[in-house]
Amino acid sequence: MQLNKVGISLIAFFGLAGAAFAVVPILLGVPGEVAGILASIGVIWVLVAAGLYWYARRQERKAARNDWIFRQGLRGTATVLAAGSSATVNEMPLMSLRLDLDVPGHGTREVKRREIMPVFAASRMEPGLVLPVYVNPQDPGEFVLVW
Amino acid sequence: MSDVSSAYAELAASRALEQLPSFSPGPLTPLLVEGKGEPLQPALRGALGDGVDGVVGQLAYRRNKTFRFHVALAEVPTATAFAPRVFCIRRGRSTRDDEFYGFEARHSKLWTESTALNERYEVATSPYQDPMWLRQLFSPSFVDWLGTEPPADFSFELAYGALLGSIEDDDPGADGLAALCEATAHVATRVREECEE
Repeated sequence: MQLNKVGISLIAFFGLAGAAFAVVPILLGVPGEVAGILASIGVIWVLVAAGLYWYARRQERKAARNDWIFRQGLRGTATVLAAGSSATVNEMPLMSLRLDLDVPGHGTREVKRREIMPVFAASRMEPGLVLPVYVNPQDPGEFVLVW
Repeated sequence: MSDVSSAYAELAASRALEQLPSFSPGPLTPLLVEGKGEPLQPALRGALGDGVDGVVGQLAYRRNKTFRFHVALAEVPTATAFAPRVFCIRRGRSTRDDEFYGFEARHSKLWTESTALNERYEVATSPYQDPMWLRQLFSPSFVDWLGTEPPADFSFELAYGALLGSIEDDDPGADGLAALCEATAHVATRVREECEE
């Protein structure tokens, strides 16, 4: 997953508006109870922004890691044995894949992988489909599935 | 008969295309996914251009408002091995107005090596696309062609061998539809050539 323009706007909105709710009433001398309610809302919004930002950073690090595996990893193939989806995230299917991984020097093995994909990609995930994979040379359990 | 229907009838007559009651291509590309399964209607099947067969039709779907495109669909199965996804979309195109999600699947990255191409289009590929192949596909002559020859509102999406050319004009007339077919066929031929090399 990656942050998009809408996500950046959401983080900015919740962060800035939350901070304003928390601080401005106090600076303006708004009566205690009202200021407390507004401050609570503000803190919650700031926490939401912080959570989104944390998740975005985590996804960025994961993407950078995958890019490294793509550049440095061993190329192999993954044959889709089974594919299905029982949930969606932001209108995108969360695909559960069972794969037969074949990487030179590491033999073949069966693995499971869950990936969030756009619908046009998910609709192509059928048994028998062969996809490229890149495997971390130091840790064969870590791989990037190119779908 | 509406203007759009008569334009399709005129195109069918001039190019000997088969008229279909409707055509459901399935969710093959991002634009077709936006269409939420709406069929192409009217739709014609036959030769889009030299050696390229496919279907041309009108895609209309509703989000908060109705979006209308005319699309030409062709197949380039050999492309999947070289480029699972290449999206070359006219800058400023909108395909939905009800998207409020802050996170999306990391399924593409922008390709910005060609300034000339990026003046008119936004080009996105798989994050794990071989850049050499892309440089060969977007040769100077192909970039020049993309910048000057297709209809002004032309875009194309190549996803897992399905190539979808599209224009946004509500009523392009038979000439506009013919230009869409020719442009899509040209892109299909170019992709095929590069896959064979």
